Amino acid sequence: MKNRLKVLRAERDWTQAQLAEALDVSRQTINAIETGKFDPSLPLAFRAARLFGLPIEEIFHDQDPAPL
Amino acid sequence: MKNQLKPPENGYQSRMRTSTKRLCRWHGWWAAATLLMAFGPGFLWHRALVPTLVAVGLDVAMGVGMILATKKYVEELDELQRRIFLNALGIAVGVGLIVGVPWTVMDAYHVIHSHGLHANFGLLVILQGLTFLVSLLYGTWRYR
Repeated sequence: MKNRLKVLRAERDWTQAQLAEALDVSRQTINAIETGKFDPSLPLAFRAARLFGLPIEEIFHDQDPAPL
Repeated sequence: MKNQLKPPENGYQSRMRTSTKRLCRWHGWWAAATLLMAFGPGFLWHRALVPTLVAVGLDVAMGVGMILATKKYVEELDELQRRIFLNALGIAVGVGLIVGVPWTVMDAYHVIHSHGLHANFGLLVILQGLTFLVSLLYGTWRYR
């Protein structure tokens, strides 16, 4: 799963530590999500969407093409 | 598009610091109770039954406290940290089983006696502890 977390965070001038505190997770978790090493759970993805004020699909999207 | 983030009152880092301190305290108390149980009968009360039973009871009570503190610690971890912790725990339990069971069987059938390798629960616990530590470090490095 790809995501725009890093871009959205940079646009707001937030550090990974600040975003981690706001989402109630560790800084390592934010880094792992941003680098694509870890896919967040649905509740965490929704928390991120709420924080950025965006629909969830504008932050996270599937890497694989949709099946025909 | 700058936007100030207000950190929560009792954030993740603060909760984890409290939780980690509680976990360390319980591990310390359990280790102290285990030392008392192991060495008390020989050095402090000359193998008297009642103090030995009290020391065993204290060790079990501290052990239960340690388990509950560990459970609470795991519940408070975030999803990635919990994954790393549980993966390490799973590997440590697995290694303990796949080493411990054959070792016990070989001991029971006197296969390893000639080499002086009796099944030793203490060594198994050390092996599991080291496996857990290495797995935890690997998990942390993998998602760094």
